[in-house]
Amino acid sequence: MDIDILDLIDDEDDDNQEEMTAQKVLQIVERAWLNEKFSPEILPHQTDYVDCLLEQIKGMEDNLAKLSKTDPKVDLHKLEMERIKFVITSYLRTRLKKIEYFCVSVLEEESNRLEADAYLSPAELKFAKEFAQNADNHFDTILRHMPQLYNKLDMNKKVIKPNLNSFVFLKCYKHIDSVIIQNTLESQEEEIVLEDGSQHLMPYSSVAEFVKKGAVQLI
Amino acid sequence: MNIYPAEIEFMAENEIIQIVPTFNHASHVHLICGSYGPFRAGLPLNVPIWVAMNLRQKKTCRILAPDWMALDKLQERLEEEKASKFFTQLPSNYYLEITQMLLTVASEDIPQGNEIKTAVKDLWDLRIAKLRSSVDLFIKEGRVQASLNHLTPMEINSVRPVFPDTLDALMTLHEQINSNDDRDDGSQSSSATPGSASFSLSM
Repeated sequence: MDIDILDLIDDEDDDNQEEMTAQKVLQIVERAWLNEKFSPEILPHQTDYVDCLLEQIKGMEDNLAKLSKTDPKVDLHKLEMERIKFVITSYLRTRLKKIEYFCVSVLEEESNRLEADAYLSPAELKFAKEFAQNADNHFDTILRHMPQLYNKLDMNKKVIKPNLNSFVFLKCYKHIDSVIIQNTLESQEEEIVLEDGSQHLMPYSSVAEFVKKGAVQLI
Repeated sequence: MNIYPAEIEFMAENEIIQIVPTFNHASHVHLICGSYGPFRAGLPLNVPIWVAMNLRQKKTCRILAPDWMALDKLQERLEEEKASKFFTQLPSNYYLEITQMLLTVASEDIPQGNEIKTAVKDLWDLRIAKLRSSVDLFIKEGRVQASLNHLTPMEINSVRPVFPDTLDALMTLHEQINSNDDRDDGSQSSSATPGSASFSLSM
């Protein structure tokens, strides 16, 4: 029996009520992966796309089980699934690493956001809260044994914030008329135009909003 | 954050290349990244490099070297690169990785493999030397923005993380100096990127 993977993909589109191919979803996740890797702060989550890909993979696995092992395309499908799984796990791990590292500041910023534009997925938020709670418990346990002078922890000193001014490499997907760059060295501002397809090096804070809108890709 | 060269190679594997299969498979293979086929023995078709390498390792296809992967074309590029003050646009964003991969897996399929390897290495060396001198100039001039057109991801990665980290450190130092000039002793929380040592100054 020959199973048409395309049918599966079409079904997926109907469910999402959007004109979007699996290929496009994969591209979005791959770009999100790179952006997440290079951006100093945590970016808005892409759970919808990740879940969509995971469903595809699951459907594909079920279909492959029905195919004979000698079919030359089985290997290719398996290989592709491994490749996609790698991207997804690497993407999620990068996010977890940032959540652990910037835990307090991530939670603080997240509490100021509406649910609709939350940066963390519900699962990530749960993880972040538990992580913060466990870290606090841990410090409390240790500090109890310290001399009185030192047994208080200043929360403000514990906060590690991402350096939003750190330099990033980027590629532009759209023409952007004006990007303002703070020149710390000369205490003045520079304004530049980003051409479609051009590549640049500049502080992340100047392009952060464009990265989140998808007009700029970090490389 | 850093990316490993192997991960850049992973991205390079998504590039499209031509192969000549030695087997027949009438229907298309519907991969998530696109549909490829039909596979007919002796007829060339386009597939992603990772598919080509997988089939080549099973000895069920022959890989056709991309157009640019020919000695005369590469020599031309080399001359162009030497003549230009800026980085020239290359035919592939992953020229080094693709050459490396194809010569490892399918060296018999690429005519003049050794010479091509040397030419690509020359091109790489030339561009990296250019890149290093521009980095040097950039830091000396104290600029905060640079245009990097036509640099490939692997080339960019060769100056990472040292280059951006250096700039970050320089900026932090300048901010510190500026704020001291203003006699503004506000509390400063330390900032850092994951994986790198936190950089904070206590005065």
